[in-house]
Amino acid sequence: MRLAFILGEIGSGLRRNLSMVISVVLVTFVSLTFVGAAGMLQMQINQMKGYWYDKVQVAIFLCNDSSTSTGCASGAVTKEQQDNLAKMLDSPAVKQYINDYQFESQADAFKHFKEQFSNSPIVDSVTQDQLPSSFRINMKDPQKYQIISETFSSQAGVETVSDQRQVLERIFEWMNGASVAAMVVAGVMIFCAVLLITTTIRLSAFSRRRETGIMRLVGASKTVIQLPFILEGVIAAVVGAVLASGTLWLVAQFWLNGDLSQQFLNTPFISSTQVLVIAPVLIALGGGLAGISSLLTLRRYLKV
Amino acid sequence: MIRFENVTKVYDPNARPALDAVNLEIDRGEFTFLVGASGSGKSTFLRLILKEDRATSGSVYVAGQNVANISSWRVPKLRRGIGVVFQDFRLLPQKNVFANVAFAMQVIGKSRSIIRETVPEVLKTVGLEGKERRMPHELSGGEQQRVAIARAVVNRPGILLADEPTGNLDPITSMGIMGVLDKINQNGTTVVMATHDDDIVNEMRKRVVELRNGVVVRDEAKALYTSMIPVVGESRRMKDASDAEIDRAQGVQQ
Repeated sequence: MRLAFILGEIGSGLRRNLSMVISVVLVTFVSLTFVGAAGMLQMQINQMKGYWYDKVQVAIFLCNDSSTSTGCASGAVTKEQQDNLAKMLDSPAVKQYINDYQFESQADAFKHFKEQFSNSPIVDSVTQDQLPSSFRINMKDPQKYQIISETFSSQAGVETVSDQRQVLERIFEWMNGASVAAMVVAGVMIFCAVLLITTTIRLSAFSRRRETGIMRLVGASKTVIQLPFILEGVIAAVVGAVLASGTLWLVAQFWLNGDLSQQFLNTPFISSTQVLVIAPVLIALGGGLAGISSLLTLRRYLKV
Repeated sequence: MIRFENVTKVYDPNARPALDAVNLEIDRGEFTFLVGASGSGKSTFLRLILKEDRATSGSVYVAGQNVANISSWRVPKLRRGIGVVFQDFRLLPQKNVFANVAFAMQVIGKSRSIIRETVPEVLKTVGLEGKERRMPHELSGGEQQRVAIARAVVNRPGILLADEPTGNLDPITSMGIMGVLDKINQNGTTVVMATHDDDIVNEMRKRVVELRNGVVVRDEAKALYTSMIPVVGESRRMKDASDAEIDRAQGVQQ
């Protein structure tokens, strides 16, 4: 009986305050979409890190005829210098840091280059001698790049030592920045949502002050009086959270795994099922915030 | 049933207390009129019984319990034992007569079958048979007050507090309401009614407690609205008051 009564009260509250309730739904929807987007970006970063960090290497580029750096003053790398570098890589001092290494000759480099830029006209203007040969090193711990760089960059015949991770780091930094920005927007929006929920509950309590006054006088418990208001806020926020989750799922399903994955074939995108992990978090966040802010509002504006 | 022990209530420390060291006992089943001018402390008296306010000093006992010792989560239980009726009826305009009365039972979790059984009975007691489906705006003032009384007593409280229940009603309708309150009192409910209505008090001949400036100045059984015993210095006080009124009016003119 009491449950049916409380449900009826919630229904009438939602109907009476429809425009405010809709605005709460929309604001929580937008704010939680931003929260979810930030979460998705983080997931995407992790996914790409896991995928790329296994593949990226430290490359020691050797001098070729057209090298201009100071280490290459004596011209292209000689066979002797190259053997010397290979010996150094095999020495125990260096070996402890690396899993293995391969030598990529100029011919190999040209082949890879052609594969990588197969769609681009640049392929036609590049010749094999313009590309450097290199040692491709697979690190045990990618963080130890500095040691390899220090050891090899001053050796004769070495043009430069490059850490491919650094290129990726920049992409990840950019993505991280985007997710932080999304969090900031989400924070502002959540603040708006909390204020709006507070105002809505206040209005709702005000418009039903006759009912609550009578409830108080006939001895209704605090729970019976307050619960409909709190649930009103929570329901609106949860609807917003569900909409946000749905939107993020659509984005993952049709944009990331549709358009984008066709454009960037080598990039591992997060799947739409992975996105569903975020949904319960959003719903709990929305419901929790609404519940707490309604409760605090009622404490001030609804005498029981 | 209700006992005030040396109760003082101060709202504003700079003004005189709303109630000043009031001692009073109202027994179970009694019908008591609380009379006095506006601001004499009648409403404060009622509010203290309901624990809407806390006494500044002294103790208020309701049904043997000191209300100061009732924790906030048990206040609803105290209020279930007290029905309240107001001058302005306070009905829910979008609910019909039946729903207004049923509301009081719904919010304390009474079952639907008990509600369906009890509400018509109570409506019969207050003389509203056959008007269950009417909306409040379709009723006269007297009928609306009857609905309010029905709502106040539907949970069978031991005490019924009425704050000027006839304040908005004409004399004949008022007498009808008094008949209802009397009937409820006959059924064993303690009734405390704050009023200005001298005709009613004179007609009913019940206990009269008169408050003036927060002090009980008279407590008489089977009494009239104005005391039969002349109060010493009363005419003098009245004259002072009217002089002050004239001075104030002149001050406004200047």
